[in-house]
Amino acid sequence: MADDWQPDFEQLVDVHQSMVFSLALRMTGDRGLAEEVSQDVFMELDRNMTKIETAQHAIFWLRRVTMSRATDALRRRRVRGTDLWVEIEESHGARELEHGSPLGDRIEALLGTLPEAQRAAIVLRYQEDLTPEEIAATLDAPLATVKSQLQRGLKLLRAKAESQLKEYIRAV
Amino acid sequence: MPFDDFENELRDSLKREPAPAGLKRRVMEGRQNRAQLHLSRTSARQRSRMIWFERIAASLVLAGVAGGAVVGHYAIERRKGEEAKQQVFTALRITNHAFEVMNERLQERDKDSQ
Repeated sequence: MADDWQPDFEQLVDVHQSMVFSLALRMTGDRGLAEEVSQDVFMELDRNMTKIETAQHAIFWLRRVTMSRATDALRRRRVRGTDLWVEIEESHGARELEHGSPLGDRIEALLGTLPEAQRAAIVLRYQEDLTPEEIAATLDAPLATVKSQLQRGLKLLRAKAESQLKEYIRAV
Repeated sequence: MPFDDFENELRDSLKREPAPAGLKRRVMEGRQNRAQLHLSRTSARQRSRMIWFERIAASLVLAGVAGGAVVGHYAIERRKGEEAKQQVFTALRITNHAFEVMNERLQERDKDSQ
């Protein structure tokens, strides 16, 4: 029952820190910045605890605010003249990743070279397993736009992977 | 490797990563610091409010004293004015009386001389 649900801040941090951090990391491409964004998101959650009605609402709220804060952080960095993903693209997608399979790491690094809106849609689709409708609600964007971003993002990512990972795949 | 299962590969590579060690601790510390800051800001605001109340109270007392002094001074001046007016009236009455006496004497003298 939604009425019985009592939000516990510490528990929410415990349960959702991985989701928030992963979303921030995949949007910003920087662990330090992702951690900063995650802390900001949880601080904002603390300020808005009274507005959180259910466990599902908490997840929706966290995803939405994380995507928004990560985008803001990227814009602030860009204004300051540092675009991390441009640096990554220049180094041929060779982002330093510590987890997962080598091919998966390379695909993840290529993800960072996608335009921001496409990256956001793909991260929510494949990390969080959201439907296009849920992505549209999370990003507060029209459904048609989200569907188009998903299709174009996937197509672009596939093309990049085919051209840049050919050498690697042959070696495998 | 063919890219037929590209979406599956993407899904695998985008699995959630564990949060960095200490993220939760830092969040909880930040929360505590914010609460303390809020508390100290609230007490500072209350102190500042008290100071303002004291200032307003002192100003009201000062204004009351100054107003009382002005009203008192005005009352004294008015009383003095009234006294001066009474003195002038008394002087006029005395003068008038003196004129009347003089007039009666002059009339008596005129009668005697006729």
